[in-house]
Amino acid sequence: MIDDPHKAGSDELQSHLEGEGLNVRDVHGAILREKDDPRDGYEPIPLWLVSAFMALVFWAGAYLSFYSGGFQADVFDPVQVSWAGGGAAVKGPPDPMVVGKRLFTANCVACHQPTGQGVAGQFPPLAGSEWVLAGDWHGDNHLIRILLHGLQGPVQVKGSTYNGAMAPWKQLKDEQIAMILTYIRNEWGNSAPPITAEQVAKVREETAGQTEPYTQTQLQAIPAVKYESAAPPAPEVQTAPGGGDVAPPAPAQPPSATPAAA
Amino acid sequence: MSATLAHPSTVTPEMEKAQRALIDESTRVPVILFYGSAIFWLLIGTLFALLASFKMNAPTFLDQWSWLTFGRVRPAHLNAVAYGWASAAGIGTALWLMARLCRTPLRYSKLLISAAIFWNIGVLLGILGILSGDGRSIEWLEFPNYASFMLFVAFGLIAVWAILMFRFREPGHIYVSQWYLLAAFLWFPWLYSTANILLNFQPIQGGAQGAVNWWYGHNALGLWFTPIGLATAYYLIPKVLGRPIHSYYLSILGFWSLALFYSWNGMHHLIGGPFPAWLISASVVASVMMFIPVITTAINHHMTVRGNFQALKWSPTLRFTVFGAMCYTLASVQGSFMAIPSLNVVTHFTHYTVGHAHLGLYAFFTMIMFGAMYYILPRVVGWEWPSARLIRWHFWLVAIGIGMMVVVLTLGGLLQGLALLDPEITFMASLDYTKPWLFLRSVSGLLLTAGHIVFAVSFTLLLLKTGATRTEPTLFGSDQGRQPEPLNV
Amino acid sequence: MNRMPVIVIGVFLTFFSSWLGLVAYPYFNLGRYTPVVDENTGDINPPPLSGLAERGQQVYASAGCVYCHSQQVRQVGYGSDLERGWGSRPTVARDYMRESPVFLGTMRTGPDLANIGARQPSAMWHHQHLYQPAVVSPGSIMPSYRYLYETRQIEGQRSAEAIDLLPPDNPPEGYEIVPTYEAEALVAYLTSLNRNYPLPEAPEPPQ
Repeated sequence: MIDDPHKAGSDELQSHLEGEGLNVRDVHGAILREKDDPRDGYEPIPLWLVSAFMALVFWAGAYLSFYSGGFQADVFDPVQVSWAGGGAAVKGPPDPMVVGKRLFTANCVACHQPTGQGVAGQFPPLAGSEWVLAGDWHGDNHLIRILLHGLQGPVQVKGSTYNGAMAPWKQLKDEQIAMILTYIRNEWGNSAPPITAEQVAKVREETAGQTEPYTQTQLQAIPAVKYESAAPPAPEVQTAPGGGDVAPPAPAQPPSATPAAA
Repeated sequence: MSATLAHPSTVTPEMEKAQRALIDESTRVPVILFYGSAIFWLLIGTLFALLASFKMNAPTFLDQWSWLTFGRVRPAHLNAVAYGWASAAGIGTALWLMARLCRTPLRYSKLLISAAIFWNIGVLLGILGILSGDGRSIEWLEFPNYASFMLFVAFGLIAVWAILMFRFREPGHIYVSQWYLLAAFLWFPWLYSTANILLNFQPIQGGAQGAVNWWYGHNALGLWFTPIGLATAYYLIPKVLGRPIHSYYLSILGFWSLALFYSWNGMHHLIGGPFPAWLISASVVASVMMFIPVITTAINHHMTVRGNFQALKWSPTLRFTVFGAMCYTLASVQGSFMAIPSLNVVTHFTHYTVGHAHLGLYAFFTMIMFGAMYYILPRVVGWEWPSARLIRWHFWLVAIGIGMMVVVLTLGGLLQGLALLDPEITFMASLDYTKPWLFLRSVSGLLLTAGHIVFAVSFTLLLLKTGATRTEPTLFGSDQGRQPEPLNV
Repeated sequence: MNRMPVIVIGVFLTFFSSWLGLVAYPYFNLGRYTPVVDENTGDINPPPLSGLAERGQQVYASAGCVYCHSQQVRQVGYGSDLERGWGSRPTVARDYMRESPVFLGTMRTGPDLANIGARQPSAMWHHQHLYQPAVVSPGSIMPSYRYLYETRQIEGQRSAEAIDLLPPDNPPEGYEIVPTYEAEALVAYLTSLNRNYPLPEAPEPPQ
């Protein structure tokens, strides 16, 4: 064995190869005609290449500053530049039909059913219900009061009588109640103006003293208020308890004006 | 005879040739073991490719059996050609190149022989595992743990071997091919172990898996196959022509810019996907910056060959290698453009990507590996290729085959992508656009299969040392009496 | 560059930078999510999977569905994913926190499945489609997964889980086709795929 072939002399190599039964000429004709191993030339890097690379580096910097979403870990849309920090996507207002449906499904379907049909004799329907659509003697304010404080005793809905109890839902937030009501007012063929969180907040404030669920009689004693009605506002009638709802302004107002507090 | 820069002046050309003889002799068993395995898996992988392609033309084809369902045959194909063919061919080439360039006979060959055995067992277990339903469905990392562990052991042995060889190299100038090979052997075990641990052995939470997956997937291409392919081209092109590489400085620029930019490309497989915007943008930028190493290398190779393109007429090594090197440029430039989001929105999720993948792994890497085999095998076997006609058939079958495949998948993919972009066009319509192109893809696959069979026959005949003893290399045209033309050195 | 340490250190550092960016950063920022409680509904998002659906993930991996189907809804204005009804919002990393492996996918030979449970909530539809995709979706090149189903004789009454198939795959008289456990698991997983819930980093887009 030769320890270090590149230090071995030519004769030594030759005899070693012959000892191994190899003759360089016979076995490795390929090696004999082979050219030298590759070596490096030293041409300079062309200037146009360097310029092109510099241009690319500039482009890279520009691209990264525009399309990196502020390097936030929770910004997923590259088109959205978010250097202000605090990350997440700009939130638009939630869609009541989407979120309201989620809340309704989470809280209300056990009784009123996903179809809004209720259960005959037990739970009143919401589809086509005058209570929901503020038809007949009903107002938007009644609907909000029911959600906040509940309902008990016999009630008339679409010609049928129901004698159950609806629990209060005042633990839900104003926005949540508003979205649920907007949802049920515009689903299953219903069509009525949306309810806003501010309207819910006002009613909640005024009915803060209410401890028992309402009865139909009690609600009928409270004048109906329709927040987006074009009709002239009804005169205020004060009854106790429960107080009045948001009082419509003096009749001097043009009929088409929305009450200021709505 | 001009002496090379690296050589101590005491070494005469005679001694250098004798050294090469010793070196080739020492590499014989490992090289033939890896090359033989590679060609075996090439045939297996090609068979799976045909099955997968036919199943897209006729979904009822062989659909009774779970182990031949498309979702298993397709990853079996990828893993067989990536780990069975391409990696084994790359390792075989790399170890011969390392021995030659380090100017020292291959030591510790038992490490390599063990590695080859572990390798083949791992690939076999992995393919069988995928077909039987143990596949992980993580692209490029489908092998179940019992198989990937084998591959990792084999990789580890090879990396250790590479470092030892490098340690014992002849001191002096380190040639550009050696940078790439050393880098590849250091990068790949790190890649493979990290990805397998974080995705297969102790999977991390799902939100992060995609990033690790494609960090690995792209780097397997860019930091394992590409360096080996480039190292081979950087050796064979100047070697066969007897000319120096055009510019050492371009080599340096090319190497380091590749090292820096390539590894950040991974997220371009996930543009539009559920990842932070900056991560995607960083990969887009890195992908476009790849113009730097790619153009640099293209200039270096082109200027080295310039004036001698007629050599491609008679040298199989050069023809395959230069074809591959040109397709490297083409595939990489295409890739840089594909990473731009306004183009990616069309090509992502379509067959365009599949065409690109084959342009890279076949038209670039596989063709260079063929070129390397045509050069190296006669030297380790001690016999010239028995038939120039077989080499010629091999070249034209695979060149036309891969050219056709890339073109039909590109066109089909573009039509598919444009249709997908328009919500008025039904999804089924986008699928209908692809069907004729998928049929043509199967046709191109048959051409490739024929080419591989021809090559396997050629290889077998070489190993068996059939035919008359040749004193001249088997060049194109040698069976037709044509002589090689002189070069402009 | 004639010294090995220079090459090794350079090779290590360049690669390490990518490891930091594409492995370490995702692990720390995208790999340690906790679920979020929806302030409006009290839902846990993303919802936990049933045991059967978890098993279904493995069947999905074993069958290789990811090679034709993606599971990601791309950004607003980028591609037509949202317009096709493939989701109500783009998907984000937290949506995949309960999946392993994650099937983001890179091919759309078939449609995206990120919200297939919302588009096709019927388990029977999925069974039929898996058994005879070309009949349920004419023009489809999806292969049949009938190896996930058993054909057996009807004993007494037809089983509750037997699936209805159209010709030419409907079983002969006196036989029924029932899903194996793997098929039930796969369908449980498919029907669980629904990412139409809001997250802090991915609110529902406004109307």
